[in-house]
Amino acid sequence: MATAVLMPKQGQSVETCIITQWFKKKGDKVTAGEILFSYETDKAAFDLEAPADGTLLEIFYPEGAEVPVLVNVAMIGNAGEAVEAVKAVEAVEAVKAVEPAEAVKAVKEVAKSKPAEENKRIRISPRARKMAEGRGIDPAGLYGSGPNGRIIVADIANAAAASVKTAAHDGQEFSDKPLSNVRKLIARSMHASLQNSAQLTHHMSADVRKLLEARQKIKSNLEKDKKQQDITLNDMICWCVIRALEKFPEMNSHYLDDKIRTFGKVHLGFAVDTPRGLMVPAVKNASGMDLAILSKELKSAADACKKGSINPELIQSSAASFTVSNLGNYGVELFTPVINLPQAGILGVCTIINRPASLGNGIFGFVPYIGLSLTYDHRAVDGGPATLFLREIKEQIEKFSY
Amino acid sequence: MPKSQNINPKVVRKPKFIEFGKIPVNQYNKTIDDEKKSFSKDDFLRIYHDMVVIREFETMLNLIKTTNEYNGIPYNHPGPAHLSIGQEASAVGMAYNLDVNDFIFGSHRSHGEILAKGLSAIHKLDDDSLYTVMKEYFGGTALKVVEKGFSGSVRELARNFLLYGALAEIFARENGFNKGLGGSMHAFFTPFGIYPNNAIVGGSGDISVGAALYKKINRKPGIIVCNIGDASMGCGPVWEGICFATMDQYKTLWSGEYKGGLPLIFNFMNNLYGMGGQTMGETMGYEILARVGAGVNPESMHAERVDGYNPLAVIDAFKRKKQLIEEKKGPVLLDTLTYRISGHSPSDASSYRSKEEIEAWQQEDSILSFGKSLVTAGIAGQDQLDEITSETRETLKEMLKLSIDDNISPRLDLSSDPDVIGKMMFSNSSVDRMEEGTPDVLMPLEENPRVKSIKTKERFYLDKEGKPVSKARIFQFRDAIFEAVIDRFYKDPTLAAWGEENRDWGGAFAVYRGLTEALPYHRLFNSPISEGAIVGTAIGYGMCGGRVIAEIMYCDFLGRSGDEVFNQLPKWQAMSGNIIKMPVVLRVSVGSKYGAQHSQDWTALTAHIPGLKVVFPATPYDAKGLMNKALQGTDPVVFFESQRIYDIGEMFHEGGVPEAYYEIPFGEPDIKRKGDDITILTIGATLYPALKVADTLKEKYGLSAEIIDARSLVPFNYEPVIESIKKTGRIVLTSDASSRGSFLKEIAQTITELAFDHLDAPPVVVGSRNWITPAYEMEEYFFPQPGWILDAINEKIIPLKGHQSKTDFSDEKLIQLNREGV
Repeated sequence: MATAVLMPKQGQSVETCIITQWFKKKGDKVTAGEILFSYETDKAAFDLEAPADGTLLEIFYPEGAEVPVLVNVAMIGNAGEAVEAVKAVEAVEAVKAVEPAEAVKAVKEVAKSKPAEENKRIRISPRARKMAEGRGIDPAGLYGSGPNGRIIVADIANAAAASVKTAAHDGQEFSDKPLSNVRKLIARSMHASLQNSAQLTHHMSADVRKLLEARQKIKSNLEKDKKQQDITLNDMICWCVIRALEKFPEMNSHYLDDKIRTFGKVHLGFAVDTPRGLMVPAVKNASGMDLAILSKELKSAADACKKGSINPELIQSSAASFTVSNLGNYGVELFTPVINLPQAGILGVCTIINRPASLGNGIFGFVPYIGLSLTYDHRAVDGGPATLFLREIKEQIEKFSY
Repeated sequence: MPKSQNINPKVVRKPKFIEFGKIPVNQYNKTIDDEKKSFSKDDFLRIYHDMVVIREFETMLNLIKTTNEYNGIPYNHPGPAHLSIGQEASAVGMAYNLDVNDFIFGSHRSHGEILAKGLSAIHKLDDDSLYTVMKEYFGGTALKVVEKGFSGSVRELARNFLLYGALAEIFARENGFNKGLGGSMHAFFTPFGIYPNNAIVGGSGDISVGAALYKKINRKPGIIVCNIGDASMGCGPVWEGICFATMDQYKTLWSGEYKGGLPLIFNFMNNLYGMGGQTMGETMGYEILARVGAGVNPESMHAERVDGYNPLAVIDAFKRKKQLIEEKKGPVLLDTLTYRISGHSPSDASSYRSKEEIEAWQQEDSILSFGKSLVTAGIAGQDQLDEITSETRETLKEMLKLSIDDNISPRLDLSSDPDVIGKMMFSNSSVDRMEEGTPDVLMPLEENPRVKSIKTKERFYLDKEGKPVSKARIFQFRDAIFEAVIDRFYKDPTLAAWGEENRDWGGAFAVYRGLTEALPYHRLFNSPISEGAIVGTAIGYGMCGGRVIAEIMYCDFLGRSGDEVFNQLPKWQAMSGNIIKMPVVLRVSVGSKYGAQHSQDWTALTAHIPGLKVVFPATPYDAKGLMNKALQGTDPVVFFESQRIYDIGEMFHEGGVPEAYYEIPFGEPDIKRKGDDITILTIGATLYPALKVADTLKEKYGLSAEIIDARSLVPFNYEPVIESIKKTGRIVLTSDASSRGSFLKEIAQTITELAFDHLDAPPVVVGSRNWITPAYEMEEYFFPQPGWILDAINEKIIPLKGHQSKTDFSDEKLIQLNREGV
């Protein structure tokens, strides 16, 4: 009997996953544990290992297909084995799954419209498709306002109106690409953040000579002994932020409309750039960690994000109590990071600039300062405490010792 | 329910006994010597000859079916051949005294009757008439084939023509009597008085009654013989036909020269078996079929059993019965006892009868015994008889060769014209009157009380001030139909109408009120509660050349006339090779309020059957125009009327319903309201709920709906609908029919095919539920309501902002309902 390869359910809220790449093709021999294909949810990317030894008998969904979770994606078995029956069973199961609750509701609200793209093919009416072709509009990615998220003529008309405006500004060629799930999620949450909170940013700088000294020490240790742990400037700043959060618990909080939830421990979120876009994994219970452990945790979370193997629960914005976003490497001098709601604040870490400063005794010289941009939700925190919190970070940095 | 005949309780409650008269059984007792006074030597030999022709014809077919060969000529005939070997004396005896004006109708086993009647007609027609018949039939194509190299007499030529035409028909050749479209079970040749045989057992049982009505109502010479089998006595249409044919009113209420019984003989060719069921002793209880006559009328239908193995006995019976009919004492029931030596069909293994039985009948073979008696009586020598047989065999060999030669006798060329049969489905002609003459009426049209009353009515639903006209003053839907009908009664002398409660009552829905005053009984009469025969008789009347309106009181009763509506009415124009026309309008009323068996819209059933035109007007203007069109044509039209709107006034046609005559073409849907955003197509009375929907869409959602009233189902021009969809991109279809399998589904599918690229949503059908129709008080849960249509639009076509759906039109619900079959 052939073994079905099911699309795993990654997290409670995940309903579908997109197959990003097949590493095996139909007819290939596979051994259990070998990677069959990679896939992504709206939040993360994963690899799927073969559940059994055998031949890949059938692949039901190609690359790019959006597959409901727990649906049979492929079959592994002995060469020549029939797979039709398995497919049939799956189809019946799928129909059954539709039935409950839906069938009994007598009164229904206006038909719920979903984005047209949620299913694996674009739902679009023939007339709308024809209209889209005529007007050079790519229906992929358009929002379907018709029944079951179907793109109807009204949606094409709206898109056409919008594209006419664009075209008026530049006659440039352009290329359209459907939004990835990660992109869509980022777009939605960033937009929501700016729409739904009262955020503002304070900027301050901190003398980082102590941090640089420590960094220098670590580097030379590394040169002597490759097995030594590397600890980055960012790790140190995060450590300082955790210390500051311990002193200002109102910043270590979630604003939840009717209440503010203050956390006893710091769950530190930090922004990671990945090929699929920005991800913000949380390091849970970071308060108790010493610098070395914190550094390790930060690194493994970042790697998991880049690989796409991060636990989806850790990249929910509610997983962290505060976030650090570091753009210093890119030479950014000041910025206004956007809060990951419902968190009450986010610290933007900027580049280091040598600034003239008093060295004491009437002597002036150039001192390296790191820029700190704290965005906070004024609904949760007032300007005074926020400023004091930012100054606390500065002080933690300036008195840092390793 | 004529007021002229009172039913007196004092009389009908009196005790008494019904006395049955004697029914003769095989009472013919003349010898051949006795008969020498009535028959010449030639007559005797002709009888023998005709029997031999039939025997040899059937034997040939039997050999072709069983051995693929006849006298060395190979041929494969895959189609049917229900043979009547053994029944020759019955056929020849039946036809002997009939002339060309006498029409015979048959069954699936009627080759023998065709040949007998044809040979009899050939004998009676003079050479000129015979030659003209042959020359004019399909432009003389069959004549050319048999004439080539022929040097005998016209009568011999005609015999060859008859054999060739019948064979070519059986073998589906274009030179056949019906262009090869009738075949073995339906072949007929009207110039010789041979009317359709019928592959449905008992199918001729009511059709022939209609033919007899045609003869009677239009004062045509001749009688009708309905040749059907003994087993058809078990068929509803036969009983209904018998009841219809023996109504008292012909003798009591019809007046003047129309008074008296129908010119009709029900001739049961009683071969004692229905396929394999033995009617005497197994499947029926009459013992002797003729007994049935006693149950029908006081004359016992002049019933008689005749020995059908003796041609002279049959000739004698038909002569006597024809005499009775000329005295207007018909109809007659004959039980012509015979026996089928051959199987029901060549595949018959005779598992239902013993070898001994067959041999016993072979011992008494009609041809052998009649030949023997001719020799014994010194009328002919055996050699003379043998010569008849061998000469017949030679002729048949020749005719067979001609009829199976693909060059001489090709089939209809469907490869070069794939639509050739399609073009034959309808006659599509426009004829004011089926015959010249003065229509028989009782008063000038303008004196008719209904006509006078209608003159005072408002012909548009709003008066000059724009206020709605009251029901009492409005020209109603029923008036519109009446106007078209009475107009035709005063134009076409052949037009007759019948159905239940048509006279006096004026039809159950008062459409015919006023017709009773205008028309004598023979043009408008009440029928028995026999929906099968109401339609069947109309078919017989129509195929003989008369125009007729038959009425089925409720659409639900169509089931009772299923065979007539589905198998007979639609088929005969094409199956005849367009020899006959079918100017029959069948009025069918679609009910409501009366529950599960009186409220169904079965338009889809009739539209499904090829050969029927189907219309369903919803406004007085359309009703009059379409009825005029139906009554001007020569095709069968099923004319649906909704009981919901008999009293409605004209709301759409500017100026109201014209008083003058006008026609509305079949197949043209009508845009009742213009709009841009969504198309609503309606069939029948749902036009009115659709108007409400359009109003709501406009007022609440800012959408303008275009309403199209289908008006016709068959034919149907999709172009206006597609044009509308090109504009709106959306369509919802609604009618009172239960949605599953309704004609709306057919339209929706065709639209999808024709307008796929123009659709912004699938065509959505809103029909009635797939349930029994509940009581009136619960009908709003069964028939489509304006709210349902809005819900369907909201859920399936375009979300209506703020609309709260009350009915579930979700895909899941649709799947569930279909899965459950409701």
